[in-house]
Amino acid sequence: MSVFIEAVGFGVAAGAVIALGAVGFTVQFGISNVLNITYGALMTLAAYLGYALLSVGVGVWAALAVAAAGIAVASAGFNRLLIAPLRRRGTGFVGVVIVTVAAGIVIQYCIVAIAGPDTVSYGQQAGGTIRAAGFVVTTSQLIIIGLTVAAMLALHLLLTRTQLGRAMRATSANPVVARGCGIQTERIIDVTWLISGALCGAAGVALAITTVTFDFTLGPIFLIYMIAAAVLGGIGQPYGAMLGGLVVGVGTQVAAAYTSPAYQDVYAFGLLILMLLIRPRGLLAAGTASARRLAG
Amino acid sequence: MLVYLGTDLLAAWGLNLEFGVAGVVNFAYIVLVAAGAYLYAVFTLGPPAAMGGFQQYIIGARLPAAAAVALAALICCGLGCLIGVTGLKRLRADYQAMVMLVISILATTIVGADTGLFNGNAGLSLIPNPLASVDPARRGWYYVAVVAVICTAGYLVLRRFTTGPLGRALRAVREDEDAAISVGKNVVGLRLAVQAVGGVYAGLSGALLAGFIGGWSPSAWEYVETLALLTAIIVGGLGNDAGVLLGVVIVPVLILQGVQFLPQIESAPQLADDLGWIILGLLTIAFVFTRPQGLIPERRPRHGMSAVPADTGVPPAEARVPPDEAGAPLADSGVAALATGAGSAGLAGIIAVRTDASSARADPGDGGRAPILNVDGLVKRYGGVHAVDGATFTAAAGGITGLIGPNGAGKSTVLGLVSGFVRPDAGRITFDGRDVAALPAHRRARLGIVRTFQLPREFRALTTIENLLVAAPGQRGESAAGVAAGRWLWRRDEDELTEAARGLLRLFGMAETADERAGRLSGGQKRMLEVMRALMAGPRLLLLDEPMAGLAPALAERLEAACRQLAGAGMSILLVEHELGVVERLCETVVVMHQGKVISEGRMAELRTRKEVQDAYVVG
Repeated sequence: MSVFIEAVGFGVAAGAVIALGAVGFTVQFGISNVLNITYGALMTLAAYLGYALLSVGVGVWAALAVAAAGIAVASAGFNRLLIAPLRRRGTGFVGVVIVTVAAGIVIQYCIVAIAGPDTVSYGQQAGGTIRAAGFVVTTSQLIIIGLTVAAMLALHLLLTRTQLGRAMRATSANPVVARGCGIQTERIIDVTWLISGALCGAAGVALAITTVTFDFTLGPIFLIYMIAAAVLGGIGQPYGAMLGGLVVGVGTQVAAAYTSPAYQDVYAFGLLILMLLIRPRGLLAAGTASARRLAG
Repeated sequence: MLVYLGTDLLAAWGLNLEFGVAGVVNFAYIVLVAAGAYLYAVFTLGPPAAMGGFQQYIIGARLPAAAAVALAALICCGLGCLIGVTGLKRLRADYQAMVMLVISILATTIVGADTGLFNGNAGLSLIPNPLASVDPARRGWYYVAVVAVICTAGYLVLRRFTTGPLGRALRAVREDEDAAISVGKNVVGLRLAVQAVGGVYAGLSGALLAGFIGGWSPSAWEYVETLALLTAIIVGGLGNDAGVLLGVVIVPVLILQGVQFLPQIESAPQLADDLGWIILGLLTIAFVFTRPQGLIPERRPRHGMSAVPADTGVPPAEARVPPDEAGAPLADSGVAALATGAGSAGLAGIIAVRTDASSARADPGDGGRAPILNVDGLVKRYGGVHAVDGATFTAAAGGITGLIGPNGAGKSTVLGLVSGFVRPDAGRITFDGRDVAALPAHRRARLGIVRTFQLPREFRALTTIENLLVAAPGQRGESAAGVAAGRWLWRRDEDELTEAARGLLRLFGMAETADERAGRLSGGQKRMLEVMRALMAGPRLLLLDEPMAGLAPALAERLEAACRQLAGAGMSILLVEHELGVVERLCETVVVMHQGKVISEGRMAELRTRKEVQDAYVVG
């Protein structure tokens, strides 16, 4: 039983990280209508950025903030310079997705060309261990969970309480009508990529803190976790992605605790494949705008 | 390196058939190559224990090399189908690409983690060379020769798929799935077939590669390798087999292998590889941006009309009628030919076969004409909205039935339901005495229920005449027999079809546009093309969805004349139209819909006086 509870504790921590990234991924798709495969590579970039900052003596949480800001700018720039011009030219979805895959590979191999192929580690960042009711969590895990909750709350308030958030949701529901109502959808999409980039960067560093070591090949794995969580919650649905992140985190940790950790990724992927095949529009999203958009 | 060129080429051709020609987004393609390699290995390695037991794997047979290659290719054919099945859900292309990417990454992870399957991340080694009996000094060149022979054979077989009627059908599926279904193409079947064939090429490529290298591990087939093949295709020319050859020379060979010859940096030996991938990624982006059609674009077949004497009874001058735009004279000879049914060149002469059959059937003994279509209690709900709410009506055989009603009455939905593009929630659809409600749309099209779309959906990258040719039913050149037998089996069919298509183009005054890509036609021409394509599909019941909307008066008149002539020849037409004048002139019976229900039925002149119809139009 204690194995189970411990695994759940770890799962919640892992789920918080996944949710952080998945919400960014899903919001990006929901509002700008682009499935951005580069997301995983940008997360890896954030992890390495954090590593570089750490090695010059910056504190880990400051590194997280800087990386989040950096990736936010990179993400918005990526949209401005590549994706938006492509969309204006009328390049199809396949063309766009190929470009994001290619860009991901460019980033991945730029990282390895600069940082080298060896695995790196943030070292001991766990802080003290807290035990309560069978749960074992480290301070840093607790901080990350708090960070995720704060980010989710902020996003929730942004989307529901502000003019900008309403404009974002309007763009998501129907960009043509939104434009007709005087919403500058291009600007809204820029802001969206900025926000999702920040979430991506934060999640990248948070993931690097919680995992022991990582290397440049983690991009696709990161990406799959994000996709798994996003798809589970219904892609394009921020609240779905929060839930999905938690489910994926706890699910994989518990499953891995009882079998081999080598299969941890496989469970996440297996779950994802199953979802994609059986209910590709997600558990929660039956008739949402983004779900309809995906149907042929 | 020549061996790599050959195996990359096989793989790229297979992927080009899937992605370039048929538009199937298979980001998991490299998995099939890998499967070919692993299968070849375990079919030739023999039992693991006999090899000293230092690596673990399944099967462990000791087949002759040729049998192992063939078997690997065959199994990959099946795996290709299996991957194809996952793409059957009608999801957006980029979402499908994501699914495939996930499958690819998942496969690498599982094979890497499971040491019992193919020895995990360490991979398999000591895979026997298929030419083990040849003197090692000359073995390399022999291998090149074998691969060259297989590539040549592969190319010749591939051409059977990518050129001719089958290639045309596949391109049509790539351009617009729904439009392909509307003319009776079995899109699912075509896609699966393509993925099966693509699987064979992948399997061959993998088996030959593994036999040459002697080892195979997960690092050889990460998902990025699919991008390398894709880049080769995009750079060379999407959908063009010769272009792909050029692309493979440039991308995997010149770039990924070429960087190895750069001066090495001692401290970072892997830098060359990294550079190769970075260049490759940038190249992909650059090409998608600036030259998405590739260095050698897809060929545009010529069916030029000027060289061919007009022998369908239309005066030769007809062929020189300028492409018709808004200001065309009303006395245009095309219209004249349509209106008078000039000789055997009338529409019915061109598309005679099936209308004759239906008009024979439409001649019952009891005096009145039997309906060809019975719609009974049809219901379609979207969420809480009843788009069609118990619609019941019939359409007479050999005549034009009008379907009118205010916006949102459910007319287009009814067309969708009858043609099979929309699934009914309840109700029956009987076509020519047969219940068709459960049949998929392409089967209904083959029975003769052919629709047009409200917004024209032409196959953009195909030429105008190809748009017509592709629609013809029962082409032998599209069948497996056509692929196996080659051109001689279908050449005559093709010539006849081309003649028919030319005749149609002349009648509609679009002869000049025959070799134009359909995407470049004007809006009005696209609408005409939509109707012509439907006619080529051999309809017995033609469903026209607002064909006159946005047409220049001259074109509208031409279309009206065509409809009249078709009906006169015995074709049945169900016409959705807002222009009530047209409906009044053309239709014997008119069905009026309002809020999903049929509220009235009769002759247009009568209907104008009925209160419920007036109310619907004024209030609705």
